Amino acid sequence: MNPEQISQRIALIEAILFVSKEPVEPGRIMEFLDIKDIEEFEKLLAIMEKEHLQDRPERGLLLKRSGGGLQLATKSDLHDDLKAFFTIKQSTKLTLASLETLSIVAYRQPATLAEISDMRGVNSTGPVKNLLQKKLIKITGRKKVPGLPALYATTQEFLIYFGLNDMTELPSLEELTELFEEKEQPSLFK
Amino acid sequence: MESEIPGYQVQTDFFEGPLDLLLHLIRKNKLKIMEIRLSQITAEYLAYLESKKGINPSRESDFLMTAATLIYIKSRSLLPRPENPAEESPEKQLIHSLIEYEKIQKISKMLQDMEYTERLLWRRLEIGENFANREYALKEVSAFQLAEIFFDIVKKKENEQFLYISSKNYSIAEKQTEILTLLGKNGFIDFSDYVAKLDSIEEILVSFFTLLEMIKRHLLIAVQEQLFGTISIYPNEAGKLDN
Repeated sequence: MNPEQISQRIALIEAILFVSKEPVEPGRIMEFLDIKDIEEFEKLLAIMEKEHLQDRPERGLLLKRSGGGLQLATKSDLHDDLKAFFTIKQSTKLTLASLETLSIVAYRQPATLAEISDMRGVNSTGPVKNLLQKKLIKITGRKKVPGLPALYATTQEFLIYFGLNDMTELPSLEELTELFEEKEQPSLFK
Repeated sequence: MESEIPGYQVQTDFFEGPLDLLLHLIRKNKLKIMEIRLSQITAEYLAYLESKKGINPSRESDFLMTAATLIYIKSRSLLPRPENPAEESPEKQLIHSLIEYEKIQKISKMLQDMEYTERLLWRRLEIGENFANREYALKEVSAFQLAEIFFDIVKKKENEQFLYISSKNYSIAEKQTEILTLLGKNGFIDFSDYVAKLDSIEEILVSFFTLLEMIKRHLLIAVQEQLFGTISIYPNEAGKLDN
């Protein structure tokens, strides 16, 4: 690819992402640009991400990889001004109950309502319903135990909402335990 | 909440559940989950329950259940009994739940941080979603909104020129059968389309009153799919059962 080609292609990718409401699958763009080599494509994205967006203070956008797709988003330091411009008072955040429920679903999926309630020590019907409505979790099937309870798993919206590309970006349970244990302060009185 | 431990902060007035309260007590007493004897903090737990401080009333039964478990554990610890290593004691079970719950709290904290950083980035749709407050797509509309659209259409009609051949009398009863037939055929009526097709202001008026009357009698339901969107009229299935 010569520099001119690179610029043309980056311009096209930017335009496609600008128009798209949802993250665009990189495979589709590669096919369209007739790029066979994934590394070549990644190189292109890296140039776009860094030199064309991130490193330029006059640009308001950045390139995001979320839910397995590519997407344009605004830079985080513009958040307050955007909020003021669009006169949005407060954005709805997830409640603690919902976050706890999501944590269990994310790490135990597929999980039933009974398992979630048991781990939290409280009935979790409310947060599960709330998360279903927000499409952050979905029913993936039924557990083959008496009553055939619904099994819940996280969705693509979950990935997008938390800025993850795929589930492997969440630290594994083993890594988490290590992380938690390291943080624990050794007792001085031992 | 007066937690001295930085990190996971409970922002609500309530403890999320009994495990949350227990962990709070353990941290407050600077104990380690693996080393504590639950019988020690039972008294404190019960005191909280009695004062209802930080207890979510709708979760009271969950708190009470754990209280029962704590008292059972305490009573067991007072009685001498042969050690049975194969037996899973309620104390071990509860401690296991506490360890697991502590992990959940930490994962929640991590998700919360991720949520915070992600919310600073705006994407397409973000504004629309925020304005709609991420509520359901369907919203029932008030008679006022219906009337507003109705007058808009009447205004449009007023500007149109018509040649009247003869005037026709419209009755609410006739209109009602007509609307019901239309609903039976199409399943729903697009309010603007429907009114736009009518011949005269007189007919529009009668139709509108018929619609209002039918909505009042719960035969129909008017639904607006989005803010400033068109209004659709559906037969009210629930209303039919009532009548």
